[in-house]
Amino acid sequence: MIMIKAVVRPEKADSVLEALLEAGYSAVTKIPVFGRGKQRGLKVGEIHYDELPKEMLLFVVPDIDKEFVLKTVLESARTGPGHFGDGKVFVIPVEEVYTISSGVKEV
Amino acid sequence: MKQIMAIIRINKINATKKALNDAGITSFTATGRVLGRGKGLVDYRLLDGAKAGHTEAIAQLGQGPRLVPKRQLIVVVSDDWVESTVRAIIGANQTGNPGDGKIFVTPVSEAIRVRTGEKAEGASGGTVLDSSGGLP
Repeated sequence: MIMIKAVVRPEKADSVLEALLEAGYSAVTKIPVFGRGKQRGLKVGEIHYDELPKEMLLFVVPDIDKEFVLKTVLESARTGPGHFGDGKVFVIPVEEVYTISSGVKEV
Repeated sequence: MKQIMAIIRINKINATKKALNDAGITSFTATGRVLGRGKGLVDYRLLDGAKAGHTEAIAQLGQGPRLVPKRQLIVVVSDDWVESTVRAIIGANQTGNPGDGKIFVTPVSEAIRVRTGEKAEGASGGTVLDSSGGLP
């Protein structure tokens, strides 16, 4: 299994969740986070925003579904042709998965 | 070393902390409220209905996905502690109903204690994860 950790714009989080729900990937964890990227935050006029609010989405999916889920996340999180601040996606290996209600190891 | 990330019910956090303490694991990170959904919230008949073009099904899906508040717990332990940690979390959280949560085990390649700069790599956390070396 792999964990896909996507940091996306807060207003785009719902469209990512909806796109994945329609594709059959319902399980997700959503965490509000703050951060900055390569552009060192955002400058609007005189005001400099060092940390911008984002939503972190965690999906744990089987290895073979990686390409499809990545494609879905990237397409649904992008604004128009793609802009700075659309976010990043990280892929992390997961060795074991347990469901607490049954105590069963799933991998 | 392994990172054990558990997504659990909000009202189980104290029981889980106690269970981890009893198992000998004193250090962990807990985040505030996180939102999530699992397998249970998908009504496949609704999805099929929406695919077939029934407006009622599409309207129901259009309300946006419902997310349930949960707590997230992150524990980093050396390899031989993984099983007892997982068993402690399952023991404290298991009610048998859907929504009890999930546990994910991911590898950690390196751990560093900020106070002294000591490093640990590989399977064992060494002195970095050993809390006995810390302040009382």
